[in-house]
This record gives sequence, structure tokens and C-alpha cells, in this order.
Amino acid sequence: MAKEKRQTAGVSKVDIPMAPMIDITFQLLIFFMLNLKIVAPEGDFSINMPISPPAQSETPPPPIPPIKVGLRSDANGNLTQLTIGGRSLGNDDLAFDRLNGEILKIIGRPNNPLTKDVEVEIDADYELHYRYVIQAISKCTGRLDPQTKQMIRYVEKIKFSPPKQPAA
Amino acid sequence: MKRTKVDTGFTEPDMTPMIDIVFQLLTFFMIVSNFESTKADERVKLPKDVLAKPPESRPEEELVLNYGFERNAKGEITNPTPVLFYNAEDIPLDRFKPMLEQERRLFLAKDGNKALDKVTVTLRADSEVPTGLVQGLIKVCQEVGFSRFALKATQEDY
Repeated sequence: MAKEKRQTAGVSKVDIPMAPMIDITFQLLIFFMLNLKIVAPEGDFSINMPISPPAQSETPPPPIPPIKVGLRSDANGNLTQLTIGGRSLGNDDLAFDRLNGEILKIIGRPNNPLTKDVEVEIDADYELHYRYVIQAISKCTGRLDPQTKQMIRYVEKIKFSPPKQPAA
Repeated sequence: MKRTKVDTGFTEPDMTPMIDIVFQLLTFFMIVSNFESTKADERVKLPKDVLAKPPESRPEEELVLNYGFERNAKGEITNPTPVLFYNAEDIPLDRFKPMLEQERRLFLAKDGNKALDKVTVTLRADSEVPTGLVQGLIKVCQEVGFSRFALKATQEDY
């Protein structure tokens, strides 16, 4: 008797209605598909632009003078000359690599405690396209290690020189 | 030979593989979806750089300023004067100071007198905007009281 009962229980099958679950799942899927927005990852460069205090004649000069990086442009905003400390480095992509090398020469080695307070001052022409400034900031900031893909930092402090008026 | 028809009645298709795939797709889209409002304006074509890596920590308070050009559907510049995309309005730099002052008041009302020290102004400027105008924007921000700045760029593959 007991055996018979067990067999009957084993045969009976409860049908779970799948249709509502599939409906909801498809709706969720469509919702997430429509909401998907593919955006390129963005990073940022911090710059040091403190609000300048009122001019004081007794303010001592910084212990290490800032490295002056100049970016000259034509009227269309294209780079015509990249300079470091008044010395020209050219105006092509290699000029930025040279800038990277020059910065490394000045600081000696990355993460050098003696030169950690070195500051770079970017002096760019008014019309110059902003992308050249970002390129210069990047090359002053450091470089990417080809093996580890980690950033090797050169200079942390970067500031802009006061803006110039547009050329007539 | 006569074929015998067997009336099987209703045959249920096997739904398991389909449900498996649908759940995998659902999981994928749930993970990839980003609901965070980045306040980024798609009209701004950021400069690209290999060192522009997403920051590991977010600033305590952030004011995002999108500075770029009005563009058509093809992405071509329609107006050579750059504008700030702020609250669905296109505002030139010389008329932007009142909006910054309003932001300043909001930060001060929220966090008190030292609020501005915590605020990082994130500049999302188009790669073709003249540098002088970006510097002008920084100067206006400084005049209002903001002192921390971050310049955004799109990450470029090495």
C-alpha cells in the first residue's frame, strides 16, 4: 500500500508556469539593452591653481624655480613651437617625447624626494588648441611603463601662467 | 507500408537553453549598464591621452563644466565660438560668472563656509577650444572662489 502511494507521488508533475517569468525577463533584458551607453573611460590631470593672495613684497621665492614649458601657436591654434626654459624642442609629436626626456633629466629619476616639489608652469598661447596643452601636461606628469602599464610619475605640481590676451 | 499517425497532442519545446542565454544576456547588460549620472556632455570631444586613467577615488564634491562647440548631427562644429553646456543651455564664457556664483551659493548652503575647499572643478573642455579661453574659465572659477581643478581627457590605448 505504502509502496503504491509513493509511486503515485513520484509520477505526478507540477507544471510551473514559465510564461510570466520569461515575459519579465525579456522586459528587463530590453530595458538594460536600451539603457546601455558605451562611453570611453575618462581620466583627469590635477592642476595646481590656488587663488593668489594679495601681492606681498616679502613673499619668499619658491626654493626651486618652476620649469617653464612654452607652447607657441599660429592663428589657427596649431602648435608652432614647444620650448622648455626658452630652449626649442620642435613642434612635432617627437617634440613632446623630447619634453618628457628633458623633464626626466631635470628631476634626475622618478619619485626623487629631492625634486618632488618641482613645479611645471605651462605658458601657452591664447589660440593654441587645448589638446596640445593636455599633451604637454601629460608629458610633464610622467610616462607609462610599457611592461606594467602603470604610470611612472615625474612631476605632480603643474600650473598655468596667467592667460595672455589674444593676438590682434 | 502505411505510416501510422501517432497523436501526441501538445508538444512542449525545451525552454531551458533559451532561458539560460536570456539570463546570461540580462546579467551582462546589468553589469555593463552605468546609471551614474556623469554630467558629461557628448558634444564635447575631449583630448586623448595615454596617461588619462580613471581616478581611483572620486572627489568629495565635484562641479563638472562642459566647454565645447555647438555641433550638428555629423559632429561638425556649427558655431566657432565655444560655449559652456550648463543646465541644457549654451552659455558663452563672458556670461557664465552668475551661474558659477549660484553654484558657489549652493555649495556654501550645503556644507558651510569651508565647502569650497572640498570642491573640485572638473573641466571637460573640447580638444579644439583655444587654451586662452580654458584659462579664462579657470580664472573666472578662481574669482568665484574655487581653487581645485582637474582637466579631463579620454583614455587612449598605449
